[in-house]
Parts: sequence; structure tokens; C-alpha cells
Amino acid sequence: MKRKHIQHLYWRIGFGILPAELERLSKKSKRQIIDDLIGTSKKMSPLKIDTKEIENLMVGTFEEVKKNIMEIQKLSRKKTIELNVAWIDRLAKPEALLREKMTLFWANHFVCEDNNFVFTQQFHNTLRTHALGNFKDFVVAISKEAAMTKYLNTKQNRKQRPNENFARELMELFTLGVGHYTEQDIKESAKAFTGYSHNMQGEFVFKKHQHDEGTKTFFGKTGHFTGDDIIDIILKNKQCARYICEKIYCYFVNDIVVESHVNGMVNVFYEDYNIEKLMRFMLLSNWFYDENNIGTKIKSPIEFLVGLKTVVPVDFKKPKQLLYIQKLLGQVLLNPPNVAGWKGGKSWIDSNTIVLRLKLPSILLNSAFISKVEKGVSIDAEFIANKKEVLRNGLGKRFKTESNWVYFNRMFKGVEISDLENHLLLCDINESTSLYLNSLKKVSKREYCIQLMSLPEYQMC
Amino acid sequence: MDRRKFLKQSSLASSLFFVPSFVKAFEEVATGSLGYKRLVIIQLSGGNDGLNTVIPFRNDLYYKERPSLSIPKNQIFKLTDDVGLHKSLFPLKRLYDNGNLSIINNVGYPNPVRSHFRSMDIWQTATDSDKYLQSGWLGRYLDNYGAHPYNAIEIDESLSLAMKGDTMNAIATQDARILHNLSKDPYFKNVNKYQNDAHLSEHNLGYLYKSMIAAESSAKYIYETSKTATSNKEYPNNAFGKQLKTMAQFINSGLKTKVFYGSLGGFDTHVNQLNKQKKLLEVYANGIEAFVQDLKENDMFKDTLILTFSEFGRRVKQNANIGTDHGTANNVFIIGDKLKKQGLYNDMASLSDLDDNGDLKFEIDFRTIYATVLNKWLEVNDEKVLNKTFNKLNFI
Repeated sequence: MKRKHIQHLYWRIGFGILPAELERLSKKSKRQIIDDLIGTSKKMSPLKIDTKEIENLMVGTFEEVKKNIMEIQKLSRKKTIELNVAWIDRLAKPEALLREKMTLFWANHFVCEDNNFVFTQQFHNTLRTHALGNFKDFVVAISKEAAMTKYLNTKQNRKQRPNENFARELMELFTLGVGHYTEQDIKESAKAFTGYSHNMQGEFVFKKHQHDEGTKTFFGKTGHFTGDDIIDIILKNKQCARYICEKIYCYFVNDIVVESHVNGMVNVFYEDYNIEKLMRFMLLSNWFYDENNIGTKIKSPIEFLVGLKTVVPVDFKKPKQLLYIQKLLGQVLLNPPNVAGWKGGKSWIDSNTIVLRLKLPSILLNSAFISKVEKGVSIDAEFIANKKEVLRNGLGKRFKTESNWVYFNRMFKGVEISDLENHLLLCDINESTSLYLNSLKKVSKREYCIQLMSLPEYQMC
Repeated sequence: MDRRKFLKQSSLASSLFFVPSFVKAFEEVATGSLGYKRLVIIQLSGGNDGLNTVIPFRNDLYYKERPSLSIPKNQIFKLTDDVGLHKSLFPLKRLYDNGNLSIINNVGYPNPVRSHFRSMDIWQTATDSDKYLQSGWLGRYLDNYGAHPYNAIEIDESLSLAMKGDTMNAIATQDARILHNLSKDPYFKNVNKYQNDAHLSEHNLGYLYKSMIAAESSAKYIYETSKTATSNKEYPNNAFGKQLKTMAQFINSGLKTKVFYGSLGGFDTHVNQLNKQKKLLEVYANGIEAFVQDLKENDMFKDTLILTFSEFGRRVKQNANIGTDHGTANNVFIIGDKLKKQGLYNDMASLSDLDDNGDLKFEIDFRTIYATVLNKWLEVNDEKVLNKTFNKLNFI
């Protein structure tokens, strides 16, 4: 497989690829590579932070637990930070790469958050479990997640007082998209989701006496439908397959949809809603590797951060600073803006985030220093060291990080300095930027790496 | 100024010099054409207890539902025969007496949500409570009527959803110098130097270059313009006071900014509310007083309207921890010169006719306030920003 295509593939279903691995894969065929990717993602290892402390506070009667609520929430906030950090680490060193990237994708599709960490973590791993599975099983599982019954109020959805929140978002955001259902469909399907609740352990509880057993008329069908029946009926509508395929296309291929490509995906997906099969089809298709799909997507903040860590491992001495950076970049994992999730694409970029993105590689990895030494100017080692010393006490002071350049030098040992941009950037460098870059001295691989990472081009994948 | 007029002006300007038109636009927009009227939004995060802020001190129900949380009559600054302000708000009473304060009671929205995140989201996106939007109302104001990021500034490190539009975004800064320093690395300057419109039309990469140039230009403009204004005005020594001081410096320097956004957090008073709220309201009122004086001394107050809101009010009945739980409707403060309706805009909410949760039933939709401010103060088409028609109120 062509190197450029492998790099493209690995940016879209991962966070970039290092030279040795690229070299290894370049001897394999596309099919072999995709088979391996899917094969290594068969295994699902949940991501877990110890929750005993919280669980101990959740034993006893409702009244007893209620007394502990403040403590539970406080601990939950702490644990959520831990899971956030662990998730970033997992993304930077994944065993099941495709599954992990899909989990990240689904976390912005089935958007949810909760102030009880036990439920947050359970929901998070449900995303991972079904990430490449059957979409119907996925939707059913999501509808019964404790965190979701709280987030979209299915818990308050009772026979006498229906709450339509979940029914509405199920169709608008999770399966069909706006305009493919009526208000009446929402009312009727909400009845089917009455009686949904959960116990303290986060297991689904169906409260039969709160469930509306009457008939519901939904999408032209009438019956004593349950929530599962409703999901079944929704998925019979081909629009559901289309909605999901378009979203996957925008995320993994291009934010400008090509109708004929998506049609092909829809036909595959609609057969049995097998997500793995859909991904295989998409990754094997020729159009996935079209020139105008390569290096044309704006990295999400998480793709940007994890991609950075993949090239130069960086440790945050204070975990809160890692979350703080996510906040400044506009995407804090496990803390979505609302159920519609992050909009992505251009909306990641505003005046503040672009400045930060351009400056962050140098701040986190290189004492805030970007070399501007011109070609032909001779400098000694001390020159740069002195510059860094000054900066380290200024901007460089903001974050307590430790970067592993030894690792970088080892990984890029066989790469010519002139070839570095082909490993770090996926799109061509803008003409005049390239002229400027060529007027600068390539002091070292490290300094050149920082220069490349400080370009708008590095924001693309 | 509308977008078409803006484009016309900027393309005219850019033909004179060989620079990208959108860069030229930063320098060439006629200073007066955007108008001088500016809006300041102050967000009280956490859900301020409105009933202990504007107090119905003759209502027996108020004292009955809050046996250990109500404010005694002798600790209230009376505005009318039955309504008074929390004593921490004494500085606001002075504004009230000068006719610079209008209090809109019982503001909310249909089917209220009692989650902080979601309710704040509703206030910031100005949407119905069962709809979700990914752009904020002030961001959409920029989409339709803004020309540069700095037309709306949030005094923070990152932008709230309220300030993000579909095509344009505001800019956030707590310190103009730091933002400027971050953006002015000579490396970026050189990367930007030779860009022209042709190269920048590229879909996503071009957008990044444009954003980068706009950011650098905005940061430079904000820093260089605002440093001309120096103020000796004393502000309370706390983060909120610092925010307002920065904001006043921006305003007094004549920045062409139409919207400023600031916030004060900590109002989620489930436990031992009395002391916490007393301190917070003090921080709020003292800061606002200094801010208004500062603007008055610089003759900027007459063109400034300050709107204060919180994502929801709190339950009428106090809880077991001498605090209050999340509620619904709340009061909104409007501070400005020559208000049409000074003092209490409307009556306080009924404390006997509550919803099933024991919360207030709202009377005024917050979006009618937004619509009024957009239409009568910023003088733009509010429907374009709010995507819906709302009645206008009469406070300005």
C-alpha cells in the first residue's frame, strides 16, 4: 500500500503513524492492512478507574444514599478527571486502534454525561463494547443506560406524565435526523419508553406499573410497542442507515458529502446494521483514498493532542492541566456541551483556539521556543539553549510537562531531516509558507519538528 | 452596518493596497458605522437565588417557606412598599435611585430545565428547552452583523457557547497583552506575511490561515487600542473586579466592540446559603458600582447597557441544609442610562401559584429581553439572530 495512503488511513482511524510502522505496513496490501486493523480491534478491554469508594456510598436505602449525594458528586468529579486522563493515555497507546477511534466517534454521537461516576464509566464502556458491533444492539443498550435515562429524562417518563425528551433525541440526533418524523411520532414513541429506570448498581430496571401498555401508533404501525419495538421500527427506515453513514463519512472521510459514496455505504449498512462491515467497506473503497480526502480535515482538539503525544510523548505533571488544555482547545472529554455534541470541523477554530494550537507544540514540548534562525547563519548550541532558558521562565512556565525527545530521536532516526515534513504533515505546505520555511536553517530534527508542528498545515489530517 | 455594506467598503479598501481584503477590513471599517452602543452581559453562574436578591418582604409566604433562610425586614433596602433588595446590593440601590436600574422579575422559559449545564445552554443559545443548538445568540449576532472577532469580547480564557456563531466567533481574553504575545511570534508573522486571497480560498486550510491572520490582527488591535486607556479607578480586589476593570479599559479606550461578556460563579447554594450569597452579591454589586462610575467618568456609560442573568432561580421553599435547590424563573437586572422603565419592570412572581415542583411559574420569556436588546439597543433585526419572533418589552 502507498505510504501516503497508509498515513491517511492511520490519521483517520487513529492519531498518525510513526516511521517504522509505516515502513512495515508499506510492504502489505490494503486488504491485509484493513484485515489486521479490524482483527486487532476484535478484542474489547474496558477502560476502568476504581470506583469502590463511590460504590460504598451507594449502599443502603434510598434515604441513606441521598445523604451521601454531595460526597458522591465530589468523588465523581475527581474520578471523571482520572478517566479523562486515562482515556487520553489509552488513545495515545491503543491496542485496538479502530475500536478506540470509533469509541471517540460514538461519544460524540450518543452524547451523555452524568454526575455519578459509576454511571459515567459504565456508559463510556458501553460505547466501547458496541463501537464496532451491531447498531441496533447499540441503540437498545444506550436507551437502557442509567446515565442516559437520567440525561434525557426517560427516568421521569411515566405513564401518567410522559416525558418526550429521549424519544425526540432518539430520532433527531441518534437515528434519523431532523425532519424524518412528526411530533405525533414523538408523543407515541415516548409512551413506549415509559417505565425505564435503573438501580444503584446502574443496571436497567423496567418499572412495569409506570409503563404505558396501551397501543401506540408509530410510523403508520399500531401495536402495544415497547421501547425495543420502537427502535426496531426506526431502523427499518433506510433513512436511519443514511443518517449514520453520512455522519461517519463526515467524520472519517470528508465534511463535504459525496452522494454516490454515501449511497454505497448505506446499501452495505442497511443490510444488517453491522458497523464493522460498514467500516471495512469504507476503508477498502478507492474513494476513501481520493486525493481531495487526504489532509483536508481539521483535527479535533483530541486528535491534535493525541497526535502530538504520538510523535513526542509528553507527560502532564498535573493532570488538571491536561483538562485545562482541553478546555482551552474547546473539547473536554466526558464533558460535552449538550446532547448535540461538538459540531466539529471549522467550528473547532476561533481566534483563541487557532493561536493556542499554533503555539501549543512549542509550549508543551520545547520551552515555548520556535527557531527562527536563518539559513547560513552559524550558531552554537548555547544560542538555542539560552533562548529556551529565557522562554522557560515566561510562557514555558505555564504548564508542567515533561517531553520525551529521546523517544522522538529514536523513532525518527532513519528519517532524513528533509523528509520529516512527509511524516508530520498530510497536506502540502502552502507555497509562501514553504518559501519562508526554506529560508530557515534546519538546526536539528527536533527544532524542525517544532517548526512543522507550529504551522496551520499541522492542524490538518 | 450590514454585511453587504461592510463587504463593499472592505473590497474598496483592499483594491488600494496589495493586502488580503479581509485583513484590510480590520483597519478600514469606518469607526462610527457600527454605532457606539454596546452591550455588557454578566452571567451569574450556578443559579442565583432571586428570591433572596429581590425580596418580597411583605409576603408572609416568603417567610413561611424560608423559616431560617429569609432575609429579615430590617436587613433589606426597600425599593417599594413591598419589595426590597438584599443589603449586599446597596450599591445597586444607588443606581436604582438614579434611575439607572430596571429589574425584570419572573423571567424564564417554558418547560424549565433544572440542570445547570442544560439551562445555561438554553440561555446561551436562546433556544426552546426541547431543542439543541450549536451556536450562541451573540455568536449569531456576529454572524449577521459582525465584521471581526473583536466585535464581541469575552473576558475569559476561552469562549462560551453564547459567543460562538455558525460562521463567526467572538474572541476571549483576560489580558490583552498575553493574547497579543501569544499571537505575535515572528514565526507566525512570517508565515502569514505573504498570504493572499487566492491561496486562502482553499476550503479548510485556507480557513485556518484566515483565522490565524484575523486572530493576530484582533489581538494586536485590542492590545494596542486598549493600552492607551489608563484608569486610576479602584476596583474591588477580586477576580470579578479585575474582569470589570479590564472590560472598562476596553470600553474607555474606544474599542469597536459591541458586546462584552463577563461572569461570576459560585451561586449554587444548596448548603448554608446565607453567608455565601451575601458575599457573592457584595462582590457583584461593588464591582458593578465601580464599573459604572468608571464608565461615567469617561462618558461611556450613556452608550452602555448591562444585562445580568443567571441560568435559573431557586426553589421557593428552603431545603434541610439552610440552602435552596434548583428552581426556575429569576430576575434579570438591566443597568443603563435613560432607561424607559426605571425600577421594577413588573410585579414579583406569585408565591402561592407554583408549579408541581414548588417552583415559580415564569411570566417573561428571557428571549423577549434578548429581542428587545437586539432590536432597540443594538438596532438590528432580532428575528435573524433568534430565528423566531418575540414581543419587545419597554425597558429601553
